[in-house]
Amino acid sequence: MNDRFTAIAGEARSRWEAGRTGGREQVSLCLDTSSLAQGGAETLAALEEAIASRGLNVDLSTTGSWGFCWLEPTVSVRSAAGTRTVLYHSLTPDRVEEFVQAVLVEAGEFPELALGVVEGSPSQQIGMLEDHPFMQGQIRRLMANCGQIDPENIDHAIAKGAYEGFVSALQMEPEAIIELMLESGLGGRGGAGFPAGRKWDFLRNATAEPRYLICNADEGDPGAWVNRILMEGDPHLIIEGMLIAALATQAVEGYIYIRHEYPLAIERMNVAVEQARECGLLGEDILGVGKKFDLVVFTGAGSYVCGEETGLINSIDGYRGMPRIRPPFPAQAGLWNLPTNVNNVETYANAPLVLRHGAEWWSSVSNDDAKGTKMFTISGAVNQAGCVEIPFGLSVRELLETYGGGTPGGVPLKGYQPGGPLSGVLSAEEADLPLTLAPFRERGLFLGSGGIVFFDENTSVVDLCTYFLGFAEDESCGRCTTCFQGTQRAVEILRRIGSGGGREADLEKFEDLIQTMAWSNCLHGSFAMTTVKLALRYFREEFEILIREKRDPTRTLPGMITYEVTSGGDTSLAEAASICPTEAIAEEEGRFSIIDELCIRCGACAEVAPNAITVRDRFV
Amino acid sequence: MAAEPTTRELRELVAEYEFERGHLIPALIEIQERYGYVSRVAIEVLARQMSTTPALVYGAVSFYADFRTEPPPEREIVWCSGPACRLLGGDRIREALQYTLDLPLDGQSEDGTYGLRLGQCNGTCSEAPQVWLDGEVVGNLTIAKAVTIARDVKGDA
Repeated sequence: MNDRFTAIAGEARSRWEAGRTGGREQVSLCLDTSSLAQGGAETLAALEEAIASRGLNVDLSTTGSWGFCWLEPTVSVRSAAGTRTVLYHSLTPDRVEEFVQAVLVEAGEFPELALGVVEGSPSQQIGMLEDHPFMQGQIRRLMANCGQIDPENIDHAIAKGAYEGFVSALQMEPEAIIELMLESGLGGRGGAGFPAGRKWDFLRNATAEPRYLICNADEGDPGAWVNRILMEGDPHLIIEGMLIAALATQAVEGYIYIRHEYPLAIERMNVAVEQARECGLLGEDILGVGKKFDLVVFTGAGSYVCGEETGLINSIDGYRGMPRIRPPFPAQAGLWNLPTNVNNVETYANAPLVLRHGAEWWSSVSNDDAKGTKMFTISGAVNQAGCVEIPFGLSVRELLETYGGGTPGGVPLKGYQPGGPLSGVLSAEEADLPLTLAPFRERGLFLGSGGIVFFDENTSVVDLCTYFLGFAEDESCGRCTTCFQGTQRAVEILRRIGSGGGREADLEKFEDLIQTMAWSNCLHGSFAMTTVKLALRYFREEFEILIREKRDPTRTLPGMITYEVTSGGDTSLAEAASICPTEAIAEEEGRFSIIDELCIRCGACAEVAPNAITVRDRFV
Repeated sequence: MAAEPTTRELRELVAEYEFERGHLIPALIEIQERYGYVSRVAIEVLARQMSTTPALVYGAVSFYADFRTEPPPEREIVWCSGPACRLLGGDRIREALQYTLDLPLDGQSEDGTYGLRLGQCNGTCSEAPQVWLDGEVVGNLTIAKAVTIARDVKGDA
């Protein structure tokens, strides 16, 4: 062991213990971006107020997310004796008064909002958290501290074992660290699954100096927020992973590139880097062993292609974030044309676990195709939009049913999209696929970085294609004609099909675009058509009905429907007329009708006058 | 948010930034945080500081969606373009917002009092469909509610 670290860890642990054995209740409120979106800051203020006004001797702190993102703000309360911790959900500001009264003043519990007992024994009314349906089957390794520690307090992280993996790596030769990573089987979590150890070895073998590490925290796939959960919940795990990579590759500086949409993650990573530096874990002479490594938190400025590693490198270099032509690969010529290794947040975050517990322990879950645990976020047509950590291999359906709580209103599942806008859509008949790399690769797409978006039978696949191709068009960097023109053409055709102008030849045009766009320099262009390609494989009939019958089976595409007043004297129509943004609802002698030429098909009227307005096919 | 920044203020603000150390984007972010946007003068000052061309600086400004080249509006609706929102009528909300405000996405009124902007998913999908009104999440929207918000922002009764 390293003496200096032993001393640091000892002090950190005693401060952590002192906080836990002070005979006070500990109230830990989750304050991540999801919680903030659900009033978390107001809940915090209300808790502070309620505690202060009663003069209660209580410790109030904030944590990252437990993964129950749809039930924020969550809050855990540890009893004064330290024997029992209970996690509660949905603690909105208006519930704080009665909550504080029951839980803190009367030292009781609040079963109505309880999720489960974290520590201690279950009671009649509150079961163990690990038995909660959402927690069953999860293996919390990366997320072990998420919700359980204050992410802005390094003492908490160290008390839970942070930097121990790095300290043991200090005793190892770079080759041995890489050997261990290869033995674990850790694959890149950004989507490609490329062995992290091999990538590190490329950098170790580079000839030029200095060398750089980059942590890709650009997480641009809409519907994916696993990296956010880690950065906001346990930032030191990522720093430790980068430190281990630095030892293995002899890199001297690292960048954590975070999208600007994640201000809280940026703040927490900055705080963590600063605290690590103060402890001597980053800087010129780390822990007195003569190693140099430091980190810069770099904020992105809004560009999806900066999630591509060479686009990201150009962005830090100070240029438009256009992906480069490879080779040379970053390991030869990356940041400032010097050797660089880029890994995803979750990839780095796994390295400390391998170092602390060994490759065998680490790879003991999952399967031959992919090792270790994987974090997923679930969104779209689900009852529970949350974040889980599970072994690879669970089926998509289990993810939806067990953790996503099924589809809202029991509307049948139509399909899902793993891996972001470039990945593609699969139909519900593929919902039994195991969540691991190979089955998706075999079907021409990828599992991706962890965002899984479900859609139900009320969704038009042509609308989904228009959406994802429109996204690809907006975010194309402009280098390849195949990509920036190809996505434009695809969107034009999709829009035409979606507004009744589809032609038989359009389906062949898609085949042409699929071919030519595959020639694009980076994945953005070469994979942009995957959504259409797979939609044509699984949902071809929907395209054909639109083209041949000029009818949208889902009756949702604005270009394929009209709104009609079917009960012109209905009293709610006056409100519908006043809400209509284009004044398309006319009144004559107390009877209402819709002027079709003015109607933009937004559907606001049907929301307020559901019994008087009907959606009809426009062309049938 | 200050008024039109002067050359001298801008020079002081970016004096420590160096292109070779990856400071172009951080400098632009700092300028925008201070003044709300990146002005023509700012582009020229930054180019001089970084010993590069205004063209290169402008190239970056125009590439990244977050940078503005005119002062931000007083009130702003940022529309979430994410998939969870889309599946729950997000695109109809966009259409209704655009017509109500009479603005394209990323547009603002001529007098600068209100604007509409495209936002990216940040994983608060349980609130879908949502917009950010002056930085605050307004979630579980209906189209009718979106129209009401837009009218309020626009100053219509």
